[in-house]
Amino acid sequence: MTRWKRELALPVTLVAIALGFLISIAVQTQKNVSAAEQINAQRMTAAKSVLTTVQAQNDQLKQTNKELRSRLEQARKQGGTDPSILTDLAQAGILDGTRKVEGPGVQIFIDDRKQDHKTVLPLTPDNLLEIVNTLRFAGSEAIGINQQRMVASTAIVYSGSSTILVNQVPITRVEGIPYEIDVIGNQDTLVDYFSNLEADALKKAGINVSIVRKVVQIPAFKGSRVFRLAKPDPNE
Amino acid sequence: MSWFRERKVLISVASVLVGFLFVVLLKAQGLVGNPTHQEATLPSLIQTEQENQQLAADNDKIRQELAKYTQGASASALALQQLQDSRMNAGLIPVTGPGIRVTLDDAQHKGKNDDPQNYVIHEAYIRLLINILWSGGAEAIAVNGQRVLGTTEFFCSGPYIQINGTRQVPSYVIEAIGDNRNLQSVLHFAYTWDQLGEFQTMYGITRQLEVVNSLHIPAGTMRKIQYAQPVKEGA
Repeated sequence: MTRWKRELALPVTLVAIALGFLISIAVQTQKNVSAAEQINAQRMTAAKSVLTTVQAQNDQLKQTNKELRSRLEQARKQGGTDPSILTDLAQAGILDGTRKVEGPGVQIFIDDRKQDHKTVLPLTPDNLLEIVNTLRFAGSEAIGINQQRMVASTAIVYSGSSTILVNQVPITRVEGIPYEIDVIGNQDTLVDYFSNLEADALKKAGINVSIVRKVVQIPAFKGSRVFRLAKPDPNE
Repeated sequence: MSWFRERKVLISVASVLVGFLFVVLLKAQGLVGNPTHQEATLPSLIQTEQENQQLAADNDKIRQELAKYTQGASASALALQQLQDSRMNAGLIPVTGPGIRVTLDDAQHKGKNDDPQNYVIHEAYIRLLINILWSGGAEAIAVNGQRVLGTTEFFCSGPYIQINGTRQVPSYVIEAIGDNRNLQSVLHFAYTWDQLGEFQTMYGITRQLEVVNSLHIPAGTMRKIQYAQPVKEGA
């Protein structure tokens, strides 16, 4: 028995020292973590309260927008304007994206969230541009990506490494399927072109894609076009 | 057997300690490596703020218009003015202004051993460059005289590219009205532009950029809308 004790003395001491060292590190880490946790929690509360305020503002702005638009509609009708001008105005408003529109079309859902059993390549702005191009080729009359209307001057770009901006607005969705593309146009053509030209490549990248025929609403383009340098050509 | 018992005790104590440390460290790691909710809150915060800005701008625009009505301006005149604005936004009015011209062309001589795809201008390059130009604040863009509208497609059909339903062949001339410094700087920032530069050196394609004082960009044609109906906002 003494033989064993003597033989064990050195390793046990070493192990004890190592353990002691580790314990002290662990305690220190734990302290740091609790501090970090606290700071995080504070930040969270701050961010949440800002978010609540901003969302309240958002609701109010939307409400005001709705009221103003209906008043405008009224004012336009009252003046006894030539109805053909109003028709042209509506058509031009669909083309330039400043009118909210409704019509038959398709709804495309794209899910590039990570999945346990396979690798998924995240959807890039280039992917979205290609999809939009194909939908335009299929004769679409209006396209909205996560409720952002695509107009001629819409750019789809990265901000940083993963946030995608459409019309300079981030379209990131925190919950649910990350991308919803609403399209108005000939349903058969849209389904045909999208399925044959886009869906396969996306599926190969591990992305889940679905397309359904549906009557969809697409919001108006909320940004503004500014022409500082481009002037109407006086010669035409 | 007593030594064995003793060792058992030692082993148990050591195991308990190691287990304890393991758990503590795991917990710490879990908390540090996982800043959970904050990441989810921030994007939606930014998004909502951006949307608010858009909405506020839109509201101002409508208020100004309403003010004109209440000041007694003729509704017809206003409607005509709006129609003009809308046609301008939609790209249905020819415009002139300063900007840049980008010329892209296939290589004169195709290589024998390389991929022939490297020697030609693909529709994707044009599409990507146009996207970049819009993000750089371009006000009007045309490719080979075809105005780029909200419905314009760039579709590769073998030797030509379909743009606005017309067949276009190389060389491709992209003209954009806008601040030429901004437009040049966004181009130089773009991966596609660099890539085309490399293809120019390696395979002899053409990638040319000029600053032009006065560009003429033609109008697009109004397309018949068959499916979309205007609806009231908020409906």
